[in-house]
Amino acid sequence: MKALCWNGVRDLRVERVPDPEILNPKDAIIKVTMSSVCGSDLHLINGFVPSMRAGDIIGHEFIGEVVETGAEVKNLKKGDRVVVISVIGCGECQYCKEETWSLCDNSNPNGLLQEKIYQYPTAGIFGYSHLFGGYAGSHAEYIRVPFADHGAFKIPEDISDEKAVFVSDGVPTGYMAAEMAAVKPGDIVAVWGAGGVGQMAMQCAYAMGAERVIAIDRLDYRLANAARYSGADILNYEDTDILEELKEATGGRGPDCCIDAVGMEAHTTGIEHVYDKTKQFLRLESDRASVLRQAIAACRKGGTVSVVGVYAGLVDKIPMGLFMNKGLTIRGGQMHGQKYVPMLFDLIRREIINPEFLLTHPVSLEAGQKAYEMFNDKTNKCMRAVFKPFN
Amino acid sequence: MKTEQLLHAGYHQPKRKNNFNNVNTAERLLSLAAGGILLAKHYKRALSNPIKVLTGAYLVYRGLSGNCPLYTGLNKNSNETNAINTRVIFTVNKPREEVYRYWRQLENLPFFMSHLQRVDQKNDVQSEWIAKIPGGVGTIKWNAEIVKEIPNELIGWQSVENSSIDNAGKVEFYDAPRGQGTVLKVIFSYHPPAGALGEGVAKLFNPLFKTLLKEDIRAFKQVIEAGEVATIKGQSSGRK
Repeated sequence: MKALCWNGVRDLRVERVPDPEILNPKDAIIKVTMSSVCGSDLHLINGFVPSMRAGDIIGHEFIGEVVETGAEVKNLKKGDRVVVISVIGCGECQYCKEETWSLCDNSNPNGLLQEKIYQYPTAGIFGYSHLFGGYAGSHAEYIRVPFADHGAFKIPEDISDEKAVFVSDGVPTGYMAAEMAAVKPGDIVAVWGAGGVGQMAMQCAYAMGAERVIAIDRLDYRLANAARYSGADILNYEDTDILEELKEATGGRGPDCCIDAVGMEAHTTGIEHVYDKTKQFLRLESDRASVLRQAIAACRKGGTVSVVGVYAGLVDKIPMGLFMNKGLTIRGGQMHGQKYVPMLFDLIRREIINPEFLLTHPVSLEAGQKAYEMFNDKTNKCMRAVFKPFN
Repeated sequence: MKTEQLLHAGYHQPKRKNNFNNVNTAERLLSLAAGGILLAKHYKRALSNPIKVLTGAYLVYRGLSGNCPLYTGLNKNSNETNAINTRVIFTVNKPREEVYRYWRQLENLPFFMSHLQRVDQKNDVQSEWIAKIPGGVGTIKWNAEIVKEIPNELIGWQSVENSSIDNAGKVEFYDAPRGQGTVLKVIFSYHPPAGALGEGVAKLFNPLFKTLLKEDIRAFKQVIEAGEVATIKGQSSGRK
């Protein structure tokens, strides 16, 4: 089959690789009909996540059709149209039983490797480095899905492929971002990053009763989308002082909930007040946790900062004094998609959330390198490029 | 886990006691060789090189007799080795009785212990173990017996005397708090062959051994919880 392989930093190529086979009794093989790029792939492609190996098939946000099931797959059959959650959960460990699927004890074959860095192994993720299991990804014609009964969900007939594909990762990540931010009716929510995940967080924040959502980004076309599709007020941090604007927008209190939907490759204008003061005082270098710092600074006293933008290792100059003295709550995590899917289908069906506008560029696998360049450089008003391996 | 604590669990730890022979075979051979060379080179001019000649003679005596007066003075015996202990702890999300039952059926162990080929339980106490030697150069066989058993709490075993693999160990089973299943403590104690030299080599490999044991117990957790061991062996990639 054809598959989009990572061969080195910013080097993707379509290769002929063997078709996947059932390796364990709870596996299923899925014929991929759509597979989306995700902002977190950029961290792999740009070389910020360790343990990638040349030849790894990337991609983790996908839908498809069941073509083969292992001996112990009970809920799926050949021909089922399914969305597969990007994070793999065994369904039986304490974490899966508590619906914290991305913390699964048993789905990462490289638990030992991950323990060396994170102390405890977390769940495997499709196409997302050997640290997260080394599973072959979905930018391919076929993919092996372990623990398929738990990770693959039949898509209701009245939900289109264009919506369903984002239920694999973007929508549940956005939902969990709003949930971790503890959005309550009447809250004002600030979301850094107006990409796919950020905008799903905005829509979900409204679904939870937010009074107002403020989107922060530097790309005007994404902010325009956030206003149009996700109902957000918008701030371009290259034009304004974000901390002042957020105070202005919240009657001087600050946002109740702050969501970091950017992560470790954040861009910044480098003018945040606290950051500058700290930097000046300690004479430290800049790094790329600027969104997290700004969210901690902006958040109202007693508010919550929710982190779904991906971080891999260490960041420095986190303003702990602000965090501690303002009595903030900070939460983070990879999403527990399996927990949310049925409810998300329902929200999509009722058009309370709608991810369809994210699909701006349907492309072939052969266009992989170019599609990721476009997605990385934010050209052609790209929100998401989505591969259709059989078109 | 110290040897004394293992003793409390119901084992005797084999110790090779011999007060006169306190030099092991490898050291004796080295002593003979070094002493012989010193003597051969310097005995003709013994008066100008008394220290070298005396050293040579001392080494030859040590090699021939297996007794080292210096070791006696230091209360050292290179024939005695310290056990290499490895300890692994895991929580398994299944009831204690079920985890215990699975483990007590020793024939199950090769399902998750990657280097074990087969375990045959001959009776309630005795069993025969066959392991693959890493590198695929064959198998090694030994007999073990269960020396202590408290149903649903503890299994302790030990290889029978003169086994090719001199080992002992125990598994303890505790309830995890908040209904989170069973805490499994595995302690494996191994007497390296070939005295102090073997001990040094075994210590070098101990981190590797601990990793192997840990991965085996992790596989046990996966088998008993999820019903299979997560793997990517045999999956597709663009690697040639």
